[in-house]
Amino acid sequence: MDKDLRELKEKLEKAKADRDQYLAGWQRAKADYLNYKKEEQARLGEIARYTGEELLKEMITVLDSFDLGLQALEKSGPVEKGVYMIRAQIEDILKKRGLEKIPLKPGDPFDPAIAEAITEGESEQPPGTIAEEIEPGYRLYDKVLRPARVRLSKDKLNPTP
Amino acid sequence: MPKIIGIDLGTTNSAVAIMEGGEPRILENSEGNRTTPSITAKSKAGERLVGLLAKRQSVTNPKNTIFSVKRLIGRKFSDPEVQRDKAWLPFEMRESSHGGVEVKMGEEWYSPEQISAFILGKLKADAEAKLGEKVEEAVITVPAYFDDSQRQATKNAGEIAGLKVDRLVNEPTAAALAYGLNKKKNEKIVVYDFGGGTFDISVLEVGDDTVEVKATGGDTHLGGDDFDKEIQQYLAEEYKKQEGIDISKDPLAVQRLKEAAERAKHELSSATETEINIPYISSDANGPKHFLMKMTRAKLEDLARKYIERSIELTREAVTAPAPKGAGFQMSDVNEVVLVGGQTRMPAIQAAVKNLFGKEAHKGINPDEVVAVGAAVQAGILQGDVKDILLLDVTPLTLSIETMGGVATPMIVKNTTVPTSKTQVFSTAADNQTSVEVHVMQGERPMAADNKTLAMFRLDGIPPSPRGMPQIEVSFDIDANGILSVKAVDKASGKSQSVKIEASTALSKEEIERLKQEAAKFAEEDARKKELVEVRNQAETLAYTAEKALRDAGDKVPADVKSAVEAKVAAVKQAQSGEDKAVIEKAVAELSAEMQKIGQSYYNKDQGAQDGAQTANGPDNKNPEPGPEPEPAPDPDAANS
Repeated sequence: MDKDLRELKEKLEKAKADRDQYLAGWQRAKADYLNYKKEEQARLGEIARYTGEELLKEMITVLDSFDLGLQALEKSGPVEKGVYMIRAQIEDILKKRGLEKIPLKPGDPFDPAIAEAITEGESEQPPGTIAEEIEPGYRLYDKVLRPARVRLSKDKLNPTP
Repeated sequence: MPKIIGIDLGTTNSAVAIMEGGEPRILENSEGNRTTPSITAKSKAGERLVGLLAKRQSVTNPKNTIFSVKRLIGRKFSDPEVQRDKAWLPFEMRESSHGGVEVKMGEEWYSPEQISAFILGKLKADAEAKLGEKVEEAVITVPAYFDDSQRQATKNAGEIAGLKVDRLVNEPTAAALAYGLNKKKNEKIVVYDFGGGTFDISVLEVGDDTVEVKATGGDTHLGGDDFDKEIQQYLAEEYKKQEGIDISKDPLAVQRLKEAAERAKHELSSATETEINIPYISSDANGPKHFLMKMTRAKLEDLARKYIERSIELTREAVTAPAPKGAGFQMSDVNEVVLVGGQTRMPAIQAAVKNLFGKEAHKGINPDEVVAVGAAVQAGILQGDVKDILLLDVTPLTLSIETMGGVATPMIVKNTTVPTSKTQVFSTAADNQTSVEVHVMQGERPMAADNKTLAMFRLDGIPPSPRGMPQIEVSFDIDANGILSVKAVDKASGKSQSVKIEASTALSKEEIERLKQEAAKFAEEDARKKELVEVRNQAETLAYTAEKALRDAGDKVPADVKSAVEAKVAAVKQAQSGEDKAVIEKAVAELSAEMQKIGQSYYNKDQGAQDGAQTANGPDNKNPEPGPEPEPAPDPDAANS
């Protein structure tokens, strides 16, 4: 009798322990799922925001070429206004998708977070600052999609006669 | 429990991964990238920079930008490797008081451990930001050939960065772990690692719970960067040939050429030809000059051939040469080959490796990330994350139901985690159909006949009604033990039938593999068959609708329109019995056009009773179809009261 009771008690204890373990596992699984859903939501938002990142990157290259073309045209005479309007149209479309040019000018301090130094040379700017922007940089929302490519002003050959 | 992160501390780039819910995940850095350049610098403004930011100022600050420090860590200054690297590395180096190496960054001298610690520190900080919790422990990978001193130095670097290094794992072992190859018994594995700056080959042997490094080889100065330089140089030469202009002195032109070269290399991994298109790259007295040329994959392979051949030669040596130079194996002894490093995306490399071993290499995981993933797997094992008490299985093959025309309509697709259930509403194919047959199958083929039948049962007692009207709800449920229950309920009468299948997941591994391979093999033919059935089904539905419309309209339709439609219906039925999809489609289109006249004659004669013909228009009118078929019925209550 006593033995039976003890066995039953043991069984009950084990069942209770099992139940606790299963309940904990179940709760954890449910929590994991809910958390996953939340993360997925955030990730989807992120994806939606940065969707087309690759396309925008390639469009930047086209924009660069367009600007070089414009510069070449300007050298040979006045350029038809419509060409500038096309340029503005393209820029406008990209802007609506979150792409923005990083503003930089000669004499600005060099910040590797937004610019990449690809060469350096003499200039009238203080040493270590930006002498010339070779390619403009672009930001997609808060991510630097392409750093500006710049020439830095050289330390020692700063020409101040 | 705080997370243990896995770190691939590379010569050129590093990456971090963790285990999350039993799956490895790469953590992006603060710049939003999945890899971080292994570079540290003291900027001219006196700021310490790590990673991408250090890289962006490296050209103009070469003396204070430290990269490739992994080549120096734990080595003696007198080591011939160090002396060789000293000749080309642009920063200053000297012998430390202990005979080791020190590098100069800014005004100060640092040990390679300290430099590595700066990199590890950034990886740690970025991981913490991403995870939103503190990270204090890590598994770090090292090359298989690292000696005790190099390993100790790497461990020290971790400690300096505030990371307790739970384990150092060999990079090739990590790659094998990422692919789960550690579970294989008594296998010989070759890891072919073609990185940006180094080429490593490792021969491993998996025993009982151990992975032994049998041999290592490679070239510490052979990598993907060599390919990039080669392409860039080739393009510059081609341009010089075209226009007679040397653009190597123009920083903007060089920058654009570099980008074009990288793009070409990537594109030629998937395409066989690409176009180099750089307008206004330079100018001369005659005005602006452009660069436009085609580059083929063959040309790229030509440029890369010497590097690939060298890597293959080194691989053969590491496998077959007698110890200690190699593992002393036969090439045919090798059971598995793993590809690591971004450059292994190149088809020519994959082909060369396949040719050498006579088997396909593992390459499913991103080759830039596979080592970090393996480090995370090791971290997960240490943490006990991988050994989950609640092991959930997946369905190895798709479970489907046969619908009109013998099509297998998937209910639960393969790789779905169980327990799970799925419910879908089907309908009847013919008017006054009072029973449906539910045919449950397993397999990846689109046609029912090609899959394995698990069960078949009949649901009777459906009240007679026009086709498509009844709503038969079929549900599939798989419990945690893999037992599949299928139930069909007629929503109108409430009648139901069900079946339990015990062994839906009890297929042998070989059988699953065979079925999957068959599906891949017949994919094209099956798709054609299925398309034909779909067009036939569409034809049948349209013919049915047309006949019904004529019947409903009675004498409201002029005799000439009626006979014309009837003729087209006959033509559709005739075409439908044939095998030519185009013929059926043509007949369907003609009938569809003819049927519009029914509607038109309605408008002319009687504005009121037109709805019968209206719904019959257009082939995309999704009508109920014979056999249980996914029923579009957006309103489940409509036919149900």
